[in-house]
Amino acid sequence: MNMMLKKQFYENTATESKLPDADGIRQTVGEPFLENSRISCREIDVFYGQKAAINKVSLDIGSNEVIAMIGPSGCGKSTFLRCLNRMNDTIDSCRVTGSILLDGEDINRTDVDVVLLRARVGMVFQKPNPFPKSIWENVAYGPKIHGLAPKKNDLDEIVETSLRRAGLWDEVKDRLDELGIGLSGGQQQRLCIARTIAVSPEVILMDEPCSALDPIATAKIEDLISGLREKFTIIIVTHSMQQASRISQRTAYFHLGNLVEVSTTRQLFTNPRHQLTEDYITGRFG
Amino acid sequence: MMTFCGSGIKVPRKPVEKVIRCLLAACAFVAVLTTVGIVLSVVFEALHFFHKVPLSDFVLGLKWSPQTAIRVDQVGSSGAFGAVPVFAGTLMIAMIAMLVSVPLGLMSAIFLSEYATRRFRAVVKPLLEILAGIPTVVYGFFAALTVAPMLRGLGRFLGLDIASESALVAGLVMGVMIIPFISSIADDVINAVPQSLREGSYGLGATHSETIRKVVLPAALPGIVSGILLAVSRAVGETMIVVMAAGLSANLTANPLEAVTTVTVQIVTLLVGDQEFDSAKTLAAFALGLLLFIVTLILNIVALQIVKKYREQYD
Amino acid sequence: MTEKKKYNLHSVTDRVHSGLSRRYRAEKCFRRFGVCAIGLSLFFLVILFADIMHKGLPAFLQTQIKLAVFFDPELLPLENLETADFNALLKSSCRALFPGVKGRRSKKSLYKLVSDGAAYELRKQVLRNHKLIGTTQDLWLIADDELDMLMKGNIARNPTGRFNQQQLYWIEKLEQDGRLRRRFNLTFFTSGDSRDPELSGILGALSGTVLTLLITLMFSFPIGIGAAIYLEEFLKKGRFSDFLEVNINNLAAVPSIIFGLLGLGIFINFFGLPRSAPLVGGLVLTLMTLPTIIISSRAAIKAVPPSIREAALGLGASPVQVVFHHVLPLALPGMLTGTIIGMARALGETAPLLMIGMVAFIVDIPKSFNSAATVLPVQIYLWADSPERAFTERTSAAIIVLLVFLVLMNASAVYLRRKFERRW
Ligand SMILES: Nc1ncnc2c1ncn2[C@@H]1O[C@H](COP(=O)(O)OP(=O)(O)OP(=O)(O)O)[C@@H](O)[C@H]1O
Ligand SMILES: [Mg+2]
Repeated sequence: MNMMLKKQFYENTATESKLPDADGIRQTVGEPFLENSRISCREIDVFYGQKAAINKVSLDIGSNEVIAMIGPSGCGKSTFLRCLNRMNDTIDSCRVTGSILLDGEDINRTDVDVVLLRARVGMVFQKPNPFPKSIWENVAYGPKIHGLAPKKNDLDEIVETSLRRAGLWDEVKDRLDELGIGLSGGQQQRLCIARTIAVSPEVILMDEPCSALDPIATAKIEDLISGLREKFTIIIVTHSMQQASRISQRTAYFHLGNLVEVSTTRQLFTNPRHQLTEDYITGRFG
Repeated sequence: MMTFCGSGIKVPRKPVEKVIRCLLAACAFVAVLTTVGIVLSVVFEALHFFHKVPLSDFVLGLKWSPQTAIRVDQVGSSGAFGAVPVFAGTLMIAMIAMLVSVPLGLMSAIFLSEYATRRFRAVVKPLLEILAGIPTVVYGFFAALTVAPMLRGLGRFLGLDIASESALVAGLVMGVMIIPFISSIADDVINAVPQSLREGSYGLGATHSETIRKVVLPAALPGIVSGILLAVSRAVGETMIVVMAAGLSANLTANPLEAVTTVTVQIVTLLVGDQEFDSAKTLAAFALGLLLFIVTLILNIVALQIVKKYREQYD
Repeated sequence: MTEKKKYNLHSVTDRVHSGLSRRYRAEKCFRRFGVCAIGLSLFFLVILFADIMHKGLPAFLQTQIKLAVFFDPELLPLENLETADFNALLKSSCRALFPGVKGRRSKKSLYKLVSDGAAYELRKQVLRNHKLIGTTQDLWLIADDELDMLMKGNIARNPTGRFNQQQLYWIEKLEQDGRLRRRFNLTFFTSGDSRDPELSGILGALSGTVLTLLITLMFSFPIGIGAAIYLEEFLKKGRFSDFLEVNINNLAAVPSIIFGLLGLGIFINFFGLPRSAPLVGGLVLTLMTLPTIIISSRAAIKAVPPSIREAALGLGASPVQVVFHHVLPLALPGMLTGTIIGMARALGETAPLLMIGMVAFIVDIPKSFNSAATVLPVQIYLWADSPERAFTERTSAAIIVLLVFLVLMNASAVYLRRKFERRW
């Protein structure tokens, strides 16, 4: 399949004209804006101290879609993702400007409740980070702190459904009392996903969830993401273009802190509109 | 063989180097000799003691009055060497010290490493460390001449009878002394907890304090426990504060307002002043010393072992 | 999907929302605990310092009393001046001040206002200058410690206390005549211990401390550095090095009083070294500080990058040369810092020195490593036990002196560390 895609790229290069100039980066090409968006970001700038990490990124994300973020290392994908649930607040030197509307409400304002926001916008990290607690406790952590389940029975139910949805239930149902750290890397990552969906967030941010996993575990998580799509909005950062093309409807390409191109996944991989995008997906880029 | 090296300068170098190496090794061996010295000096005298007083009497006896009579016809001329009240006093004072220092030290460390701005931390941390640098004799003076009368006055005001050499005073002041010890260890282990765990918790919508209480502290627990063990070993071995502020006579009680005595106080009172060697009284001090050494050694080894395990977990 | 029904999106947000105010209260509460803990710890620190300053600073001043002393030639026969009755001289000067005083009792209570040490002062002056004999001189002499306390407001000015009505009257009179003053307390820095608080000083303890710490420095610095070099540069990692490491770490945590028992058992009882001597004290403190110095010196050696060793080895230097010519100079500031910190700890140490008998009441200033001596912390311990109010004041003053030394040592350690801090 990869070969086929590549072949198509080369054919397209010949016919279409691209925006080759550096200034062209500032302007996002493609379709960054949607009619009925769930999240809409406008002119987001992020600085670490004096250093700018993201320049004027504007992007809409619709409900029940999976959108993939790709781009070379250090281009600001994680930084952008972390804006969406104010995770950047935890870094002292980090400053975010611009507006990010979630259901029409600007989450970047200081009076927004980050606890509530993060309950609505969950996050799965690049490296699995289970808490040093039992598997059960790991999944029950979110519902417990938010008081989602008053009774132990309800909690048990949430833990079971979450683990089932994360495709981990059968593997751990007999050892819920064991430490989460004792699981394999892939299992840990699925545990972290279960932990996130246990809170029933509306949006899930995933930062390279499969980077440390083998193909089988990756396939499981991809299945899981496709299953989650009907209920959640999912934004996923990935370094694997195949993965992006398998699971996402739209794809955004970042380059040096700029959002270069946003298109439907199919279009972006088959017919990129920006020279940089093309360089990246064809592997010509550094 | 030497000529093979080519230069004549190198020839005399060899024996000199050997001597230097031996000297350096000897220096390192001083540490071993010290341990051996401690064990020998304490164990021999303690064995002498256990010839005179059976081990079981010492470990299980409830009465401690080592003041052997000066005249033979005096009552109680033999002295009683049941160390239980002494242990109990030591434990009580150490426990009070822990009750003061663990919450204060831990909360200080949490605030400094999790909440405080960098400026605040840069100012307050060294200030707290001053508490650790103050000689214990100063704490003893403070306890005996300032805190004790103050607590006594407070007790009288509340209708409580607080002894002027109460366990509470010694424990309280000792606790203050140990605060920076606990807080600096806790600070280290809290900072060693990976940031990714905190982010995981924040990402689920936990507040700062929920993250600390439910994720950071459980993750740091082994390190904190070993720090507390080291602190207990300090409290048990601390001498000057208790010598100056705790009681002299053994008193088996659970009331912290009464005067109790400790192992170190007894060692000091038994050995300071004129001593006839080979009297049970003098030897008893070494028996107590042996006990103190063993207890602190066990606490230290266990604590260091826990720290080692903990390091491996996050490396 | 029963879950969908029970936990639909709306209800989750609502539930989280409803719990928020409680959780933020808990957050605030937790934070406040932290602030309180720090506040309380700092409060203790402030109280401790304020208390000691408050008690100790007045001790640096001393009350003096002006007497018109007639150096009566009858009382001072030139042939045996040394043994002349200077007390009588002092007493007659006191009586001259208040000629109306009659009766043994009253006279005695009058004499009590002046320190016993004043007679020594007179003796010293006469022996120095024979021409004084036969003249009358206005001399400022040390007042008794109780009068000193009264002047400093530590004893109430009413006849129910230490002073009777008559004495209080005299004191008032003396004040009116300008015969009482407070001056810098030189005695405190120039004399040894004494039973009379107004005559006691810390010089004896200070010189004991210096002698003891000299011994400690002389032994612990070279041995500590040697051990650190051996452990870091020459010893192969293995069972034996692990054993040494554990050994040193444990020694660092052994209670100091145990080192005192070691000193008593080995140095005094076995080797027969003298009790109460700075030599033994210094040796005990050496063993006590050694682990600290070894640990920090090893850290300093570890911080020297391997590239420097490799470069020197590449130039044909032997391992010993590499260490002494290249590694040691670079690691020295770190080692010095560790040594200073270790010495600061030794300076404040009391318990092990009690064990080896450095608690004696010693008036003479110790001059050698073998003479009986005491050290500053032990002096503090001894004075703290004395019932006189004036000794409490001097204890605090001695603590201030001790703390000044500690601050100086720690500050120099910090300075050294800052100055030589290197980033490789
Ligand atoms: N905590 C931080 N402090 C300072 N700079 C940071 C921080 N985190 C990221 N950066 C900088 O911000 C830029 C974007 O980083 P970001 O982590 O968003 O990249 P990324 O696209 O996620 O890369 P990767 O694919 O390697 O994860 C980088 O240049 C990085 O150096
Ligand atoms: Mg990233």
